[in-house]
Amino acid sequence: MSRSIGRFVMLLAFTLGIGSNTSFADTPIVELRIRNHLFFPDTLEVPAHTKIKLLVINEDPTPEEFESYELNREKVILGNRKTVIFIGPLPPGEYPFFGEFYPKTAQGKIVVTAQQPSE
Amino acid sequence: MFLNSVVLILQEILEAALLISILLVLSRQLQLSARWFATGMVLGGIGAFILSFNLATISEWLDYAGQEILIAGIMLAVLGLLTLIGLYSTLTPSSSRHALPYLMSICVALALTREGAEIVIYLGGILNHQESIQPTFTGAGIGAGIGLSAGVLLYFGLLSLPARWIFCTCIVLLALIGGTMASQATLLLTQVDWITYSPVLWDSSIWLPEDSIPGHLLYALIGYEATPSLFQAIAYGLGFLLVSISATLGHLNHFHSRRTNTGDK
Repeated sequence: MSRSIGRFVMLLAFTLGIGSNTSFADTPIVELRIRNHLFFPDTLEVPAHTKIKLLVINEDPTPEEFESYELNREKVILGNRKTVIFIGPLPPGEYPFFGEFYPKTAQGKIVVTAQQPSE
Repeated sequence: MFLNSVVLILQEILEAALLISILLVLSRQLQLSARWFATGMVLGGIGAFILSFNLATISEWLDYAGQEILIAGIMLAVLGLLTLIGLYSTLTPSSSRHALPYLMSICVALALTREGAEIVIYLGGILNHQESIQPTFTGAGIGAGIGLSAGVLLYFGLLSLPARWIFCTCIVLLALIGGTMASQATLLLTQVDWITYSPVLWDSSIWLPEDSIPGHLLYALIGYEATPSLFQAIAYGLGFLLVSISATLGHLNHFHSRRTNTGDK
């Protein structure tokens, strides 16, 4: 119990900015492209328990919305623009995502594989 | 494109429609003129267009965190406004109620700006696909119709409650929306790494998936999430308490001043 409280206090301190100077260089960057309302690649493999910086590049002239119920993520990316979405750290498993504006074609998933945590 | 458009527009309209219905009922209970509603709608419409035309630039601010920071800011502003609405609507009559129409209209304007911008961006994108325009806009009309109907249903549903329950129910619903605003703002800030990751508290996606009809309805009304994080839950609780405590404080003040006025010291 006291350990979990300690962990909570640590997380809270982290949130309040006390320890939030994490260097972005430590966060792996994964690239995802949108072309003709499709995701390239449509399957992204990432290590478990690691925070990932997802760089989403929309090569279509039309806007798209990256959405995933499993990842709790939702972000509009305008045409011919790029954006950043942080995901994880996640336990191993499959996390589907889709383009909310063109969900019939824009489908993909993130496969989190059990590996050594980055630290 | 048709069905997708129905669902997408419905999602966006529903949240704003429910908030507006609750505020309209509250304003009716307090015998305020509903002119704030028209002002809020017009300002919200203008806001939605301004935001959608500038979102590309805003998104690139702060190392691509601009979109989330701005929208989280709007959500927290709505929470602040709901807190003040809770306080002023329960305070001593006439002394502070003249502020309410302004607060309500800004609240509606901000909610519509956020929801409306996504609709403008989506429908604007469709204009590039000649063959999709007709089914998409038909779907959008139907989605908007269903969303507005849900708002009307809630409005008359609330008014059909026993008179002494109406006011209290409105405050509780506004507090739930306040909780949702805080929780969603937390989620957005986590998405851009401004708030650190916190563990997922529970997973109810098997029992009640977020993408089901009841899931969408509950999301719009009480901010339901199938896999909320610890920080989201804390934020939700704080947002809920902020609105409900401010309403209770106003209420207590109201009683206190009534007792003082009747000489019961």
